[in-house]
Amino acid sequence: MIKVFKKKLTLKILVFLILTDFLETFTHLCFKKSALTESDFVINKLPDALIFLQSVFSSGFLWLGLFSVVVTFIIWSSLLSKIDLSVAVPVCSFSYILIPIASIIFLQEKVSLFRWSGVLFILLGVVFVSLSASEKEHILE
Amino acid sequence: MREGLGFILFLIALTSICDTINQLFLKSAINSLFSPSGNIREILRFIFKLLLVPRVWVSFLFSLISLCIWLFVLSQVDLSFAFSADSMHYIFIALASRFILKEKVCFKRWVGIILIVVGIMMVSVSVS
Repeated sequence: MIKVFKKKLTLKILVFLILTDFLETFTHLCFKKSALTESDFVINKLPDALIFLQSVFSSGFLWLGLFSVVVTFIIWSSLLSKIDLSVAVPVCSFSYILIPIASIIFLQEKVSLFRWSGVLFILLGVVFVSLSASEKEHILE
Repeated sequence: MREGLGFILFLIALTSICDTINQLFLKSAINSLFSPSGNIREILRFIFKLLLVPRVWVSFLFSLISLCIWLFVLSQVDLSFAFSADSMHYIFIALASRFILKEKVCFKRWVGIILIVVGIMMVSVSVS
C-alpha cells in the first residue's frame, strides 16, 4: 500500500518530468547547432570522419549539450525511483512535440502538416507502448 | 537528398541499435546493485558505485558511438525529422525483448509499434 502511494504522480514530480523534456530539447538543439557548421561535409573515408568529429567536438555547443545530458540523466534516474516508467515515458514523449517547435523557432526549419501528423502517430505509439508496460506491472502486483 | 534518405535512415537505425545495446548493458549493470532510496546523496553514491561496474563502460562506449553517428546525421538532415525517426528504438527494444530475451510482447505494444512505424514513414516522406 505504501509503495503504491509513493509512486503517485505529484505536481513536483510532474514539474521535474517536464523540465527533463525541456532539457532534452535543449540537448538536441545544442547537438544540431554544433553539427550545423559541418552541414556540407561528405564522409567517404575514415579519416574524413575523424576530421568531422574533431571539428564538432571543438564546438562549445556540443559540450553544453553533453552537460545537459548529464543533468538530465541525474534528474531522470532520481525520478525513476519515485514513479513508474509507464507514467514517466508518456510525459517525457512531450519532447516529440517540443523538438519540432524548437526547430521551427531556433533553426528556421519548416515542419509541414503531414510531418506533424507523423509526429502525432509516433506520440500515440509511444503512449500505447508504455500503456502495455503498466499492464504488466499490474499482473506482477 | 532523396537518394541519401535511405542512408540517413540506416544511420539513424544504427544509433537506435547502439542506444538499445547501451540500455541493455546499463540495465543489467543497475540490476546487479541495490537500488538507492530517494535522496540525492544516496543517488550520487549509487552512480559512483555504478561507475565501478565494467558493463557500464561497455554501455558508455556504445553511447559514444551512437553520439558520433547522431552528430553526423544532424549535420545532414533537419532536427525535427531526425528526432522523430529516432523513435524507432522503441521497435528495436520490442524486437530485442521478443526474440533475444524471449519476453512476451502484448497486443497493445504491437499496436504502439505499428503506430510508430506509420509515424516514422509519414515523417520521412515529408523530408524535402
